[in-house]
Amino acid sequence: MSIDYFLSILKPMLEGAQATIILFLVAIIVSIPLGFLLTLIVRSSIKPLAYLANAYIYLMRGTPLLLQLLFIVFGLPLIPVIGEYLVLDRFVAACLGFILNYAAYFAEIFRGGLLSIDKGQYEAAQVLGLNRWQTMSNVVLPQMFRVALPSVANESVTLVKDTALLYAVAVPELLHFAQTAVNRDFTITPFLLAGVIYLLITLCLTMFFKWLERRLRFD
Amino acid sequence: MPILEVENIKKSFDSLEVLKQISFEVNKNDVIAVIGPSGSGKSTMLRSLVHLEELDGGNVSVNGNYIVKEGIYSKPQLVKQITSKMGMVFQHFNLFPHLTVVENLELAPKLLKQGSAEQNRSLSMELLKKVGLSDKADVLPSKLSGGQKQRVAIARALMRKPEILLFDEPTSALDPELTGEVLRVMKDLAQEGMTMVVVTHEMEFAKDVATKAIFMDKGEIVESGSPVDLLTNPQMERTKSFLHRTLQT
Repeated sequence: MSIDYFLSILKPMLEGAQATIILFLVAIIVSIPLGFLLTLIVRSSIKPLAYLANAYIYLMRGTPLLLQLLFIVFGLPLIPVIGEYLVLDRFVAACLGFILNYAAYFAEIFRGGLLSIDKGQYEAAQVLGLNRWQTMSNVVLPQMFRVALPSVANESVTLVKDTALLYAVAVPELLHFAQTAVNRDFTITPFLLAGVIYLLITLCLTMFFKWLERRLRFD
Repeated sequence: MPILEVENIKKSFDSLEVLKQISFEVNKNDVIAVIGPSGSGKSTMLRSLVHLEELDGGNVSVNGNYIVKEGIYSKPQLVKQITSKMGMVFQHFNLFPHLTVVENLELAPKLLKQGSAEQNRSLSMELLKKVGLSDKADVLPSKLSGGQKQRVAIARALMRKPEILLFDEPTSALDPELTGEVLRVMKDLAQEGMTMVVVTHEMEFAKDVATKAIFMDKGEIVESGSPVDLLTNPQMERTKSFLHRTLQT
């Protein structure tokens, strides 16, 4: 196996990795705030809304992500009458699937984080004259985020690996190019290379979260 | 005229009456020690004064402004404005663990836009000096002992320049050797004329510092009066038996 061959498969795979990384970034940047919003709705005093949010979380966590992706990419266009308006760009559709799914997981993580905050914190804030929004943004959120951070990190690593599900909806990403090269060239190298690239991405991510944890440590 | 007036306040949790028609008043420079067995309702009473507990009936007013009148609360904005005259120190300190000591002190004035950053800094440093913690300004609460945490909590409550300071068992969560430093700060405040209501198990403190003592049991005030009289020569059987049990341990 020559260096030339290695470089020839590296280039498309790095392009594939780019799609992987973009999907990851979009999904995480949108699903974290969305997940937090869901947490707030679940805890809100408007009961019908809370039930809806709970049902949503149950649905998203209770069915396979792969099914959800297939449903959005191939299923929605099959709906009578409105289906033809639901043909989305595959990458966009995939992003949507990941966001909707991961928001539910993040909602559960943040709910756990909120539960860990002592009610004395709310009481101290109230007695000091802070309103609900000030209490949430200055007292509760920073602590909740710190508590939730290890779980968020864990979920993020899972997200990187889940991007490989794009393979099933034929969006070109890292695994797609690896598989193509393997089929074409009858060599195992592209799989190994794909594995190394995933490992590098998750290594960066893990180091980033470790750094963030150290920075936000207060206990 | 008293600064704080409490008349016939009532509260129940389901069928359990935790406060039954409690009335008392607090005058300027008073230091009121509230004692009684656990479950007597003294903490609930104190917390209801700053609306951490919702009352079912009665009046609470500060300088003649009603927080609650005959069981009906004033508008939230008004309640907030009236309760802002009172500071509260909790049994478990409730410092914000993600903020340094000085940030704990300055968070509320900063968010409520009270005073400039320089004014707040000089006030916070002055108060930290007063509680003997000038050197801990930039430390996180997790690095402090319980006694130091409680002194920070007192300084934080003082940042709002309260007219009345409420203490909910301020030394109950502390190791015995750390209670002294907190009680000393409280005694200093009392001597400067701070009006205080202190729920406490520290009988010596009540005797030395308080201007008035209230004994509560089963949701009612059983006996009140001068701390020395109440603690050394109680009139009521329930007070006697409580003090007897307390002094034995």
